[in-house]
Amino acid sequence: MATAESDSRLIERVGRGDREAFEQLYKRFARPVFAMALRQLGDNGRAEDAAQETFAAVWRSARSYKAERGTASAWLYAVARHAIIDRARQKRENAIEVPEEADTRAGPAERAEESWLTWRVHSALELLPERERVVIELAYWSGLSQTEIASYLDVPLGTVKTRTRTGLGRLAGLLEEVKA
Amino acid sequence: MSEERPDFRELVGDDLTPEEELELARVDGLLRSVPGPATEVPGSLTRAVERIGTTTPIWTRRRLVAAVALAATLAAFFFGVGRWVDRGGFDARATVQMTAGRTAPDATAKIELGRRDEATGNWKMRLVVDGLPHLTDNEYYVLWLAKDGQYAGACGTFNVDGRTTVDLTASYDLSEYDAWVISRAEPDAPWLLSAAT
Repeated sequence: MATAESDSRLIERVGRGDREAFEQLYKRFARPVFAMALRQLGDNGRAEDAAQETFAAVWRSARSYKAERGTASAWLYAVARHAIIDRARQKRENAIEVPEEADTRAGPAERAEESWLTWRVHSALELLPERERVVIELAYWSGLSQTEIASYLDVPLGTVKTRTRTGLGRLAGLLEEVKA
Repeated sequence: MSEERPDFRELVGDDLTPEEELELARVDGLLRSVPGPATEVPGSLTRAVERIGTTTPIWTRRRLVAAVALAATLAAFFFGVGRWVDRGGFDARATVQMTAGRTAPDATAKIELGRRDEATGNWKMRLVVDGLPHLTDNEYYVLWLAKDGQYAGACGTFNVDGRTTVDLTASYDLSEYDAWVISRAEPDAPWLLSAAT
């Protein structure tokens, strides 16, 4: 991913106690972390706790990150997964009941793969300029048509189309090696 | 609002080169295969994360409640407050057994409280700790008192080599604190052992 190096640099700076780098890292990964926690824990409060623990762990252990062992995104994903699993274990009785068809559809390995793919896509979205990210999210996950998005954002339809296409092109670069 | 997800052609237009179309179709497939991101990150999460590294230690509400409740239960069960002990040449007036946390499940520790010096107000304490790893590179452990889950006063720092006994003193009014805590001496370090005061 094109931004891996800059993520790495941020984590290395966090490891040296750089709060500004920590804030940047939070801005970049807060939504992917919170979204993953929310999907897997199914509860806002617990998802918030898990996300908080994720960033506390990042602050504590950024020194241990070694860029040569893997990408920064993978390291952060592992930290977040650990915090989420930990939170799920702490209150297993309240864990989400997974529908039976979900169990037959995808095993743990497949679910992990889906989770990783979702993480990659969401992390990449965070790197888009806000104006491009918004139109893509509205197009793919709100069900709005391009015309409806233009009306909702109060911008010309042509602007929506340009931003969407530019954003998709930018995502293609950010997700160069990722396959669905 | 439409029920259908966007039409690829509507999104990208029809003036793409075959290579561009292939690339955008791949991204389109990725976006269609994953659930949507969180609509918004809670402000309370952002505020909590802003405090990380500026106060010690950061605890989630649930973890704090669980840790203090567990420590209080075990401490009350095994070593009721005010239990008088006299061992090993140290005039112990009470002993507090500490409970290991998840990050140091094999560790054990107890704090023997000696007499309080009437002139100075200092408490003599003997800490007996086992099962923690020896630290290097100028790292060390700290025994401290907590109130409401936050750092409230240091009782001394130490390192270990197997089972280790350390004599410490503190001048605090112990009734003003909630818990004894051992952690590494670094920001936001997890509680390795704890007990109710």
